[in-house]
Amino acid sequence: MSEIQSVSDKIDNQTMDKLMPLDQDGMLCNAEADEYFLNIKSELSQIDRLVSDAVNNLVINFKYISKLTKSHHDMVLTIEKMAVPEESKPILELLEKQMIIADKIEQELEMAVTSLQFGDLVTQLLAHTTRQVEMLNIELQRIDRQSTWKEKTGEKSLHAVHEGISKAVNMASTKNIRKPVVQQGMQMGDIELF
Amino acid sequence: MAKTILAVDDSASIRQMVTFTLKGAGYEVIEAVDGQDALDKANIHKVNLVLTDINMPRIDGLKLLELLRKLTHYKTVPILMLTTESSDEIKAKGRAAGATGWLVKPFDPKRLLEVIGKVIG
Repeated sequence: MSEIQSVSDKIDNQTMDKLMPLDQDGMLCNAEADEYFLNIKSELSQIDRLVSDAVNNLVINFKYISKLTKSHHDMVLTIEKMAVPEESKPILELLEKQMIIADKIEQELEMAVTSLQFGDLVTQLLAHTTRQVEMLNIELQRIDRQSTWKEKTGEKSLHAVHEGISKAVNMASTKNIRKPVVQQGMQMGDIELF
Repeated sequence: MAKTILAVDDSASIRQMVTFTLKGAGYEVIEAVDGQDALDKANIHKVNLVLTDINMPRIDGLKLLELLRKLTHYKTVPILMLTTESSDEIKAKGRAAGATGWLVKPFDPKRLLEVIGKVIG
C-alpha cells in the first residue's frame, strides 16, 4: 500500500528542482497538468488501499476459518473415540460425513491461499502504472518548458504541440522500467529449480 | 527438530500465506519484511532455507541473495526466489547470483511444499 506513495515521493524529490516553471504561462500550464496527474495518482492509491484493505480482511477471515476448521476436525475425532461402536452406528456415520466436510473445507482453504496472493500482484501493477504516469508528467513538463522557450521566438504551432506530446510519451516509455507482473488470469506461477 | 525457513516479503498478505502453508507442514518460520530485515535475521538465526521476494524496499531480493552467499553459513543453504518477475533476463541474474530455484507468484501451497521438500529434504 505504501509502495505507490514511496515511489512517487522518490520521483518528486528527484525532479522537483528541474521542473520549476519559467514564466507565468508555464506555471499555469504546469499547475493544471500537475493537478490532473495528482488526481490520477490519488485514484490509483485509492484502488490500492481498497484492494489491500479487502485482502487484509480476507486474510483475517481466512486464518479464523482455518483455526475453526482445525478445532472442528479435532472435536469430531474426539467424539468418534467416545462413541461405542455397536450402539452408535448412526452417530459414527454422521461423524464420517463431518470429516468429509472438514476435508473439503481444508481443500477450499488451500485454494484460497493462491487467490489471496493476487492483492500483492495488484499492488505491484498499480505501483508500476503510477511510475508510468509520473514519468509522463515529468516529460510533458519538460517539453512544456522547451516549448515556452520556442513560443518566445514565435516558433510554436499546433504541430509543435502534438510533436511535443508524442515526444513526451516516447521519452516516458523509454525511461519506463519493466512491468513486474505478467499474469493475465488466475493461473498459478511456474516453478524452476536451477 | 523442525527445519527453519526465512520467509522474506514486503507484502504482509504474502508473508501470512507463506507462513500458513509452511507452518501447516511442520516447518518453523521466521518472517522478514525486506532484504535488510532478512539479512539481520539471517545473521542471528541459522536457517535451513530462505524464500525471498525480489521487489522490496531497502535491499531487494537479488541483492539479498548476493549478500547472503557471501556469508559462510549461507554459501550452501538453498535460497528460493518467490516473485512475480518471470523474465529470462532476471532469472539469469538470480541464477548467476546463486539462487537455488525460481517460483513465480501466485504459488500453489502443495507445489511450494513439494519444491521445499526436494531442496531441504
